[in-house]
Amino acid sequence: MNDTVEIEVKRLGFYYSGGTHALKEISLPAYKNNVIALIGPSGCGKTTLLRCFNRMHDLYPGNRYEGEIIFKDRDILSKDIDLIDLRSRIGMVFQKPTPFPMSIFDNIAYGLKLRGVKTRTELSEHVEQALRHAALWDEVKDKLHSSAYALSGGQQQRLVIARALAVKPEVLLFDEPTSALDPISTAKIEELAVNLKREITIIIVTHNMQQAARISDWTGFLMLGELIEFDRTDKIFTNPSQKLTEDYITGRFG
Amino acid sequence: MPVLFKKNPIDVAFSIITGLASLSVLVFIIGILYVLFTESSPAIEKFGVMKFLTSTDWDPVRESFGAATSLYGTAVATAIALFIAIPVAIGIAVFITEISPDFLKSPIGIAIELLAAIPSIIYGMWGLFVLVPIMADYIEPALQSTLGNVPLIGILFEGTPMGIDLLTAGIILSIMIIPFTASISRDAFNLTPEIVKESAYALGATKWEVVKNVVIPYSKLGVFGGIVLSLGRALGETMAVAFVLGNNHQITTSLLDAAATITVTLANEFTEADSDIYLASLFYLALILFVLSFITLAIAKFFLLKAERKFSR
Repeated sequence: MNDTVEIEVKRLGFYYSGGTHALKEISLPAYKNNVIALIGPSGCGKTTLLRCFNRMHDLYPGNRYEGEIIFKDRDILSKDIDLIDLRSRIGMVFQKPTPFPMSIFDNIAYGLKLRGVKTRTELSEHVEQALRHAALWDEVKDKLHSSAYALSGGQQQRLVIARALAVKPEVLLFDEPTSALDPISTAKIEELAVNLKREITIIIVTHNMQQAARISDWTGFLMLGELIEFDRTDKIFTNPSQKLTEDYITGRFG
Repeated sequence: MPVLFKKNPIDVAFSIITGLASLSVLVFIIGILYVLFTESSPAIEKFGVMKFLTSTDWDPVRESFGAATSLYGTAVATAIALFIAIPVAIGIAVFITEISPDFLKSPIGIAIELLAAIPSIIYGMWGLFVLVPIMADYIEPALQSTLGNVPLIGILFEGTPMGIDLLTAGIILSIMIIPFTASISRDAFNLTPEIVKESAYALGATKWEVVKNVVIPYSKLGVFGGIVLSLGRALGETMAVAFVLGNNHQITTSLLDAAATITVTLANEFTEADSDIYLASLFYLALILFVLSFITLAIAKFFLLKAERKFSR
């Protein structure tokens, strides 16, 4: 297990444009090549926290950050960060599969094209690599040019993961990636996440505690915008130091 | 539990009243079609269908009539209107849905709705008194001295610039349909799921790339339906163009010539129709317009429904 810190969150606070104080004084390290799970009851701020890492909140005016998130020796919350560059290094996968209205090939190639990769051979190479990476290649190699909508939900979600992987991110953010999927597809995505951590760091928000326990190395438990506890996953699930954490993981609320 | 099965007399009366109101719509449509058919039947018998549609005659003295000149005017004025309106309307819709800060969204939206609410006769008057002189004195001479010299498209700008012509009519029509096209396009753009747009942003796409690669492909059915609906409006628009088109039955290559559309012919000539066959020919034109509008509406509905179904899944 790697203990290099890839991303360091320091006293992070977040306010939505309406004034809601959604995150309070969050500090945690995200270790390189680890899976970090964020759990907690609905509205606890776990997705809000996840969306700070790629500055997704900037899409909507009026949102405000406090504190720092250090990635590659820079504070990614600072004004002069190039968001396009940031988002190519820190990718994201959403609750529902979000294929674009184009072919399977073009979906994967999209991020590469945005970055100016133009030659067909180079694109094909990267597309195949990304699809193999996301364990989808064998299922789609004969229909790369048909619509991405023709795939099943689970396949679409792996397609979206492949699309994010194609631009070679260093960190991947998963926002409840299996909440819309059946158990078999879910298992495939989980297996994929565990395999991917050899190369990248994964931060995953999940409402499914078994999932957090199965795939993550570290777990953060949030409630009402505060990080109640952050520790190794086995510690959190066997011997949490906070009463609230214990109550939550034993199902006493949430 | 109250008794649900026994019919309440007030409910029964209510059903009958609302049912009759709805039925009246159907009766009106059938009634209008019936009148158009019977009134135009002398002309249908005399000129037939293909001959009437293709004949460029419009000669009350020799009592020889054809729809080709009016159809041509309608088609050209509508084409000019769409050519101008589509890019502007899509630009407005993109700005409102994707770019504009929140505090500007509703003022622009209201302005567009107001523009759509202006009675068309006012557009016609504004066109005649303001736009026509500007076209005649500045825009049309400028077009002639520039585009007029370009091979192939030069013939579009021949003749004396009078301002009362197809180009001016097309411009007025475009101003009339822009708000309509813009608001339908905006609704179509709004159907693009936020999460799909976000995933494009999360890949590092810029606003322009998200609009071009995600929003427009996602909503193209709806936008296309909106364009066809606007086309239907442009086809049937009368008062705005009647003032500035000149009602001259001719097929001309120049956009700077006066012409006639179906609606303008009808508006100008009903009072002058002194023979039965003249009147029947006007009704025949009206019937053609009815059919054209019906077809465009059907096409538009087809695409809009398809767009809706795509997202309700």
